[in-house]
Amino acid sequence: MITEQGVKDFLQAGGYIADEAIATAVFLALRMEKPILIEGPPGVGKTGLAKALSNALDFPLVRLQCYEGIDEGKALYDWEYGKQLLYTQLLRTQLDNYLSVSADLREAVERLSAEESLFFSKNFLVQRPILRSFMSEKRSLLLIDEIDRSDDEFEALLLESLSDFQVSIPELGVIEAKRKPLTILTSNGTRMISDALRRRCLYLYIGYPELEREVAIVRAKFPDLCEDLARQMVEFLRQARELNLRKPPSVSETLDWAQVLSILKAKQLTPEMVANTVGVIAKHQTDLQKVTDLASQVLA
Amino acid sequence: MERIVAHFVAALRESGIRVSPGESLDAVQALALCGVEGRRSSRQLLRLTLVKNVNDIPLFNEVFNRFFSRFTFDNPDLDVPGLMDAAIIGMEGEFNYLNERKHDDDDEPGPLIKLDSEINPEDLAELKSLTEIDPDDTDGNEIVVQMKGYRGKARKAPRPTRRYTQNPLTIELNKSGSGADSGITFTPEEQAAMQDVVSRMMLRLRKDMKRMKNDQNRGKLHVIKTIQKNYRHDMIPFQVALRRKRRQKPRLVVLCDVSYSVSHASRFMLLLLHTLHNQMLDVRSFIFNRELAEITEMLANMPVNDLMVTIDKGDIVDLDENSSFGQVFLEFKKRYLENLRGRPAFIILGDARNNYDEANDWVLDEIREKARYMLWLTPEERDTWSRGDCLMEIYGSYCDKVEVVKTVEDLSLVVEDLLRDIYADTAHPIDKKRLREVKSAASETYDSRDYYTRGTSGGSEPAFDPAGRSHW
Repeated sequence: MITEQGVKDFLQAGGYIADEAIATAVFLALRMEKPILIEGPPGVGKTGLAKALSNALDFPLVRLQCYEGIDEGKALYDWEYGKQLLYTQLLRTQLDNYLSVSADLREAVERLSAEESLFFSKNFLVQRPILRSFMSEKRSLLLIDEIDRSDDEFEALLLESLSDFQVSIPELGVIEAKRKPLTILTSNGTRMISDALRRRCLYLYIGYPELEREVAIVRAKFPDLCEDLARQMVEFLRQARELNLRKPPSVSETLDWAQVLSILKAKQLTPEMVANTVGVIAKHQTDLQKVTDLASQVLA
Repeated sequence: MERIVAHFVAALRESGIRVSPGESLDAVQALALCGVEGRRSSRQLLRLTLVKNVNDIPLFNEVFNRFFSRFTFDNPDLDVPGLMDAAIIGMEGEFNYLNERKHDDDDEPGPLIKLDSEINPEDLAELKSLTEIDPDDTDGNEIVVQMKGYRGKARKAPRPTRRYTQNPLTIELNKSGSGADSGITFTPEEQAAMQDVVSRMMLRLRKDMKRMKNDQNRGKLHVIKTIQKNYRHDMIPFQVALRRKRRQKPRLVVLCDVSYSVSHASRFMLLLLHTLHNQMLDVRSFIFNRELAEITEMLANMPVNDLMVTIDKGDIVDLDENSSFGQVFLEFKKRYLENLRGRPAFIILGDARNNYDEANDWVLDEIREKARYMLWLTPEERDTWSRGDCLMEIYGSYCDKVEVVKTVEDLSLVVEDLLRDIYADTAHPIDKKRLREVKSAASETYDSRDYYTRGTSGGSEPAFDPAGRSHW
């Protein structure tokens, strides 16, 4: 029996510092068997949450990266045409023998169509991520990453899988999930996700973390970085986020920077230090200047 | 518990957040799973299950605070002891006198607080845990619930309108004169709202356009794609890929009056077109007061707010002079009419108040020869069109359509209709017919707007008919 605090603890053990909202959402998703839709700016740990959960819960991670033009052949299932063709070629003699018994063409067709289901069986079915996670013997974690990159049609396609955890294949019928996977959808909000999809999910917005949590995240990943420096850099980055940059530094940038600083064995943040490593936190030319200016103002 | 959630959902709906019954069931289930321990966790549970959009979160918090709070609504003659009595009576099972609930409580200033007769003591006990805002505030014995008649409220919940996938959004263009100086630039909210309107409009349009493109923009066989597609069928061409014909974006010419009287509307128009430009349209934008200036380049290259400031300072066209439509049309003819290409659709936005100048309405006749379609948008109601210096009656007779637009919503609907018309005009005859059917079916059910259509909506020969004027 998992509790909310339990979720928080095992995530922490897996190196992911969750706040209350995240823990509650994960707890509910596990208990209610509903997907979670996570929105938030890039780099705040949406995908990271899924990975941490898969590690912590020991659910195999099945990842579906969305892109424009993704369709059911890439997400749900596909037929292996090559294999089907190959088998018909190889089995030609058997088929000949089998059909030669029949008296006329009509009977031959009937005999053949009786065996039709052989060629549209699970043997020739390619499982794509969603079906794979449904067919998995163990409860799995299905990560549908960056759903906002896909088209509206694809979103509609997902509705059946997300609400009922089943896939309808015309030739085979409805395949239900053996174990309902813990499903996580992430979105960067570049496009409005339809209400129909939202309705089927729990909705979690992950923004930039609070000061304390971000420090904790840095400390968890890089224990050798001294606490003062961690605090100082997080505070600096929080100010940098206020600068109206083209690409504000996110948690992933914080972690990169922490790694850089720990490699450089820095003890304290100085304007020079920031100027030397600014490429880690600012990713646009105009941003570079703004961040170095901020450093010389704040850290001098 | 279910009832409280239902009431809370009703409150959310009333404030404009759309919550489906399934989501309220989720909320109940979540609360049952996690228990109602404290204010924070209940808020989180409700938020996770009921709110599905970042933009709705602040509104949700507001509703949550108002709903599960002590006296935060301002009703001075609220009778606290009376309420307590009512609660006690309610618990004792004597609700009947409360049942004279008014169903339409919009205008009635009656007591805001009424306990729903169907609430039972367990519910109230559960509620108690939700009302704790500040433990050291008071002794915490009162139970306060804001619950009006539920059925009355359901009526006010946002409903999906015919054209909208989400609840419609309304921004007033006719802000009062006092706010004129604050309305120089767009606030981020206004811009966001505009983006929202446009993106919804795009969504609606895109479906139709996509289908039409798929239907008729097909040309010769695309050999390579056909081979690629049929590789799996052993090169037997089951599926055929065709080349796509290139199609030009529809052209649009917009004349916007930027004088003080209509400045709000024209700003939104400019922003709307700016957003649409490059996505679906080729827009040439002009602004005028007494002078006329083209701002297409500026709209494309300058931040919109900067441009608005420049316009407002009168750097592009002089704003101190009285607007003169006649003058502007004459100038347009002289400078631009000759090199207008591709039969653009024409939109003029203005109140047609000519300040008793010469009308020069014959220019409009020449413009319409070059134009595919002419549309006049005015913020003024029909009854004022013939009053004072307003020449709407005269100018209107040259246009295919005159529409009254008061909100961004109106504006986007009008532009959407126009785009459909333009696309339909270039469409295949079969498709044209289908579109017209769709349109006529739509207009039968949707007839609340005040507009005047001259000629048939199918866009038959738009000849100028002097007799038509008398109908106005």
